[in-house]
Amino acid sequence: MSSRNHAQWNATPDLQRGEWVDSRIYSDEQIFEDELNKIWKKTWIPVCHESELKEAYSFRTMTIAREPVIVVRGKDMVVRAFLNVCPHRGNMIERRPSGNYKKGTPSGTPKTMTCMFHAWSFDMKGKCVNISRKEAGYQDRLNENQVGLRELKCEVYFGGFVWVSLNDDIGVSVAEFAKGSLDVLLPSLSEEPLEVFHYHKAIIPCNYKLWHDTNCEFYHDYLHYHNRITGFNDAYFARKNNGFDGGHINVGSFEVQYENYEGSHGREELSFPHLPPNHWYMIDMFPGVNFNLRGSALRCDLMTPLGPNSVMIEFRGLGLASDSKKDRQTRIDHHNSIWGPFGRNLHEDLLAVTGQGASMHPLAESRKILHGRHENETIHDENGMRHYYEEWGKLLDRNPSDPMQKFKPYPEFKEQVAQREAAAAVE
Amino acid sequence: MAASSNEIQQKIRELIYNTCIHLDDYQWEEWHDNCSENFNYAIKAYSPEVQADIKYHGGDKEYMESITKLLNKHNSDQSPLRRHCTVYRVDVAEDGKSATAISSLVVHQTQLDGVNSHVDAGTTSVFLVGRYNDKFVIDGDSIKFEDREVRLDTRRLDKGTHWPI
Repeated sequence: MSSRNHAQWNATPDLQRGEWVDSRIYSDEQIFEDELNKIWKKTWIPVCHESELKEAYSFRTMTIAREPVIVVRGKDMVVRAFLNVCPHRGNMIERRPSGNYKKGTPSGTPKTMTCMFHAWSFDMKGKCVNISRKEAGYQDRLNENQVGLRELKCEVYFGGFVWVSLNDDIGVSVAEFAKGSLDVLLPSLSEEPLEVFHYHKAIIPCNYKLWHDTNCEFYHDYLHYHNRITGFNDAYFARKNNGFDGGHINVGSFEVQYENYEGSHGREELSFPHLPPNHWYMIDMFPGVNFNLRGSALRCDLMTPLGPNSVMIEFRGLGLASDSKKDRQTRIDHHNSIWGPFGRNLHEDLLAVTGQGASMHPLAESRKILHGRHENETIHDENGMRHYYEEWGKLLDRNPSDPMQKFKPYPEFKEQVAQREAAAAVE
Repeated sequence: MAASSNEIQQKIRELIYNTCIHLDDYQWEEWHDNCSENFNYAIKAYSPEVQADIKYHGGDKEYMESITKLLNKHNSDQSPLRRHCTVYRVDVAEDGKSATAISSLVVHQTQLDGVNSHVDAGTTSVFLVGRYNDKFVIDGDSIKFEDREVRLDTRRLDKGTHWPI
């Protein structure tokens, strides 16, 4: 058989459950709503880096699962997160992307978050400190103690990233949530303070998981001339793709030959602490966070799903806060050469997922998307995506291969869990 | 006889406009030929999100030559970019050996293969808005770019591009 007719094209692949997914998981409106409610509103999401909140009273705004969020640093230097919504008439309190409340706003006094609409004000701990003409309007029926902001769970962890959860009952710290997936980079990111040197964003017409999939599989290095010429060797193909509970993965390292790309240079002089020269680690956290450390520059992708076929991706680049001006510029150039909006690799990745989005838009005919490569859990094995979708299926109680049916554990990972439990029992 | 300041200003305007044509038409070598050996290129923007000046792209002449030479090795969005540029001002140094120029810039992109070509090809949109902040070195009749900063207002760059702006 060469080409296939409609029935053959739609037939169940001759692969195990979990080795393909149904494309409706990337396009269905109801599945997307389920994801926001059962995943994105329940978990930890990194929203920015503490270097974006250097001084007391500084703030950043963002969105999680359509909910406006504000992160502020108090005068006690503690970072806290709140719903960026005024309890009076639901206006978004802060409209700017960032700033500092030391200076007053047109409607508000210094050192307060003030809703411009009716000038209700809040301190950096979310306490309401002023209801305009309170007694005249509310007499003794309502006071400031009853109308504080909605505080959100917030932690600064893993090299200074600020993590927020909409879920009051999350019950685990970020470290517990990570299930060990971050440990491989903790020493490199915890040795000294980091600082953001790059930020840009993209809104791409595809489902957020397609971007995460691309970060989770390296088989797509055929897309990148840079990666083929600097990477394809025995050590590259031996890199391990490691799965962790919770749907997280990380990817083992190898030494990249940057000088094989004309005009490019090694990064050994500016390696992050504890990182061997020119090495490259990557962590993909469920449900859509990527940390990517290539020698001298750390990249972090944060996704905000906007719809079943639309995602905003914020790209950050980070170096060491102690960098000299010259070293910082070198790090920036290393970062931009492949990861900037005009760099060699990022454009190629974004082109590819845009093409997937054009093929798997809402109401498109469902397709079978193959995640079936097995290569001993090394770099071109697609176990990272299978691992992700097992967690996804559990949380949504949907079968990724047939998302209108209930979830059943994947045979592959049942075996792995059994092996892990047996090993733990021995210990 | 040395060229007058007005003549130099006019030549610089012509150089900036001709460079737009070179860049629009992928004439990378012609562009590099109009740059001095000390040329430096950068695309930058101020990010109010992180309250910092961000360098998005750039390098010296050797780097820019190498990445344009390798373009055909890369998978790129081939949707053409067209630069609409207006030179606002040219200032020539008193000694006549250098000059600066500020130009307004709008770049339009006409879709070819960036999304679904059947639907989107032929659609034109604004790709970015910004300014060219240029510096020139003048040696007799020779005027070359010494520095080009593409200062962007646009920061949502979506798929981005492999091409210099």
